[in-house]
Amino acid sequence: MSMEDYDYLFKIVLIGNAGVGKTCLVRRFTQGLFPPGQGATIGVDFMIKTVEIRGVKVKLQIWDTAGQERFRSITQSYYRSANALILTYDITCEDSFRCLPEWLREIEQYANSQVVTILVGNKIDLAEKREVVRQRAEDFAESQSMLYLETSAKESDNVEKLFLDLACELIREAKQNTLDNSDAAAVPGEGKSISYLTCCSLN
Amino acid sequence: LEVVESPERRAMADPGSAGSSVRTDVIEALTDLEELERVYTQLCSEETQVEVELQALVEKQGGVESKMQLLQRMGPNLQLIEGDAAQLGGMISFTCSLAENVSSKVRQLDLTKKRLYQAIQRTDDILDLKFCTDGVQTALRNNDYEQAAAHIHRYLSLDQSVIELSRQGGEGSGVEASLALLQEAELQLKALVTKRLEEAVSAGDLPQVERFFKILPLLGLHEQGLAHFAHYLCGQLASKAEENLLLAVGSDLGERRAAVIFADTLTLLLEGIARIVETHQPIVETYYGPGRLYTLLTHLQTECDRQAQSVVDRFMQQRDYLNKFQVVQGSMLRSVSTEKMEARELDPVLSEVTLMNSRAELYLRFLRRRIMADFEVADATSAGSVVQEHQQCVQRLLKECELSCRMQELIGYYVPMEEYYMRETINKAVAMDTWEAGQLTSSMVDDTFYIVKKCISRALSSSSSDCLCAMINHATSVLETDFREVLVARLRVGYPGSTLADLQRGVSSAVSLMQSSLQHGKIHTHIDSQEQAKHAYLVTLNNVDVCSENISTLKKSLESDCSKLFSQGAGSDQAQAKIDSCLSDLVNTSSKFKDLLQEGLLELNNSAIKPQVKPWISNFLSVSHNIEEEEFSDYEANDPWVQQLIVQLEQLMVEFKVALSPVIYDTLTSLMTNLITTEMEKTVFKCTFSRLGGLQFDKELRSLVAYLSSVTSWTIRDKFARLTQMATILNLERVTEILDYWGPNSAPLTWRLTPAEVRQVLALRVDFRSEDIKRLRL
Ligand SMILES: Nc1nc2c(ncn2[C@@H]2O[C@H](COP(=O)(O)OP(=O)(O)OP(=O)(O)O)[C@@H](O)[C@H]2O)c(=O)[nH]1
Ligand SMILES: [Mg+2]
Repeated sequence: MSMEDYDYLFKIVLIGNAGVGKTCLVRRFTQGLFPPGQGATIGVDFMIKTVEIRGVKVKLQIWDTAGQERFRSITQSYYRSANALILTYDITCEDSFRCLPEWLREIEQYANSQVVTILVGNKIDLAEKREVVRQRAEDFAESQSMLYLETSAKESDNVEKLFLDLACELIREAKQNTLDNSDAAAVPGEGKSISYLTCCSLN
Repeated sequence: LEVVESPERRAMADPGSAGSSVRTDVIEALTDLEELERVYTQLCSEETQVEVELQALVEKQGGVESKMQLLQRMGPNLQLIEGDAAQLGGMISFTCSLAENVSSKVRQLDLTKKRLYQAIQRTDDILDLKFCTDGVQTALRNNDYEQAAAHIHRYLSLDQSVIELSRQGGEGSGVEASLALLQEAELQLKALVTKRLEEAVSAGDLPQVERFFKILPLLGLHEQGLAHFAHYLCGQLASKAEENLLLAVGSDLGERRAAVIFADTLTLLLEGIARIVETHQPIVETYYGPGRLYTLLTHLQTECDRQAQSVVDRFMQQRDYLNKFQVVQGSMLRSVSTEKMEARELDPVLSEVTLMNSRAELYLRFLRRRIMADFEVADATSAGSVVQEHQQCVQRLLKECELSCRMQELIGYYVPMEEYYMRETINKAVAMDTWEAGQLTSSMVDDTFYIVKKCISRALSSSSSDCLCAMINHATSVLETDFREVLVARLRVGYPGSTLADLQRGVSSAVSLMQSSLQHGKIHTHIDSQEQAKHAYLVTLNNVDVCSENISTLKKSLESDCSKLFSQGAGSDQAQAKIDSCLSDLVNTSSKFKDLLQEGLLELNNSAIKPQVKPWISNFLSVSHNIEEEEFSDYEANDPWVQQLIVQLEQLMVEFKVALSPVIYDTLTSLMTNLITTEMEKTVFKCTFSRLGGLQFDKELRSLVAYLSSVTSWTIRDKFARLTQMATILNLERVTEILDYWGPNSAPLTWRLTPAEVRQVLALRVDFRSEDIKRLRL
């Protein structure tokens, strides 16, 4: 691990209804382009991008999943090891917003409990076709204690910010975790139990 | 020249000054002798300088003269050259105009020739036109469609603009009439041939189908020709496929391939199409040119999709596929389920689905290869954008065809069922876990890894990298959480510690142990269950150890299986990267098992070794090391401590040595050694030593190190470094002798004791005075 050229490695998984623009977001971020005639994703696509945040090298492993129902069982298998989930909907498509609770149930069921989830409303360049007002999405995100961001893969609005903010948040959590763990080691049994010994040998 | 001339020029420009820096009137105004003398010497030195300069100029005279002569001799030559150059110039311009003259004539000739050819071509065309007009009529009368089509093809390939010109030109009505006739014949022939082809298709008459199929491109009807031909092929395909499906549905359950009959049926369908491509591609290429296979296969694919749908529908129905999936999903969501699926029941259907998908993948790869190769020939000189568009077309055809979608759907149901199969079967393996005497591990580890391997291999056999990755992910999750939890739970029971140890200490031999347990039946069962718990703990440690090893083995074997699949052309770099990433997650779980092993060993060390070893070490306190010669030799004859300790350690560890794998046992010994050294240090600090006592301690330490070195592969010496140094200090003659080993004299020795500790050890010697120790400069 130390041989690799990065300080942190995070897995980010994009989920959300078909056609909301997950693949476009990823390609905008990793390749800096908006692909014309982007076809539906089959299964899962995989991309890597290394970014530097205040001198810290972060390798982002980005898994772009297919939104179509028949791929659901394949994409679900990636939730558990994800550090972050980007739950995407299309602001011009009420339906994609209304499916969010269903996606949250999936997250609840398959993802690990420490996963960072961010809600993304994509396609803000199509302002005249907006069906979901910003306030509504913000309220929803807050009620589920998720971060919220609106983007346009087409105009490259907030795309960089989305991934970099996420990376920052993940770094923060990772640091917090190592702190918690060293606390637990200093006062065994007091902190979070990190192994079975700290919770059994003492009782 | 410049250099030589400049002083002269200077002299000429300023004749009055005569080159001196002192003006004549200044000299005349001088009155003071000293001043006079100074000016005089100055003038004198100026004079010598001028003389030197003059001399130098005179010396250059010869050179300048010879150069002048040379120049004079060159004069006439230069005049000659000028004349020659003028002549050459004249010649060149003459040649140039000559050449210009000639080439313009050639150009004119060229133009004439080209016009001539065009005229001939046009005559030929007009002659051909007449010939075609007559030929078509005759051929049509004779029902010789090939001949008629050949004439029309000739007509169609004539230069249309030339024909138009001819019509406007003088040739007039003759051409006009021919053209009208030809156009009429063209329409007639097109309708006729198309009709005959349709008839042949509905009659299923292959020779006739092929006959008219070959004619259509001559009339420029490529698309129609391909469509009709495909229609014929689809008909063939459909009847064969329907027949096969009927056979499959009605087939006997006892038949050899009954369990994969739908996979077989699908295979027959796909192989049928492949065979069509093999058989008919040459004729398409010959008569329609390259780049047409895509069109033909687009038509064929619609029939393929239709037939594949029927097969899949029948499969889902007959195998109760959806229902199985729903039951599985239900029981995975609710842990207690009314209806529970026997994992074993899923086995055949899971295998069949993966087989179906691998056949579909194979077929789609075949299509891609063939179509791309065909496009490659056709697009050899096309623009990049055309090539790209063709690639996208192929991509779309293969990705979005119904066959692909249905297969993705089947795999979508397959993954949770395979996951369920894996979990359930592992649960069963855990529940039926057995351990046989003489074995280090119990059955569930091998069983579990066998199951995991089986499930992932089956996913791999589907040829779908997404399906494979999903199963690797599930396997990682099952091993890392569920299966690891089982091991954690077993370790959490703990190693039965002191109670048994006390009991054992009370009885000295196996015989009396037997007797006592016979007398007290209760104790017997107690001991029995204790023994079992001990075994369970040690076996679990071995299990944990084997897990991390098995995970690496599993990863390696999957890697080689994958590369085998990839070498056959399946998958892409992208797929490879995905698989690599998922596999590396799998192998990372191995470290979790290593951590668990370490924790388990620590626990064993704490509960089974520490409580025993501590008192044995404390016994050291009861053996005085403040001794004289007599006691020393007495100790020599009757070892007071260390031999007993070694025997006790040996007895303590023998049980672990047989029950633990060598690597774990070694780690445990290392933990025990750490324990011994820390306890020994603590104990030694509580003792007092005479010189001979120090020597005795040194001997004891050597025996202990020798023993421990013999039972482990770790280097013991290093762990004992501090104790050995303490023994060295306790063996000194005088306090100051320490300086022979300290600081600059420590040469080969790296001190592990701090100066304070050294003083502390020195103070243990009863015969060392504390003032001497204090005075030491360390
Ligand atoms: N105007 C606009 N269109 C977008 C934007 N992002 C994506 N699209 C379009 O939305 C369509 C779907 O985009 P994808 O990126 O393929 O959607 P997806 O979420 O990956 O879909 P699946 O792979 O099927 O789950 C494409 O036609 C894109 O061109 C955006 O920011 N603005
Ligand atoms: Mg996509």
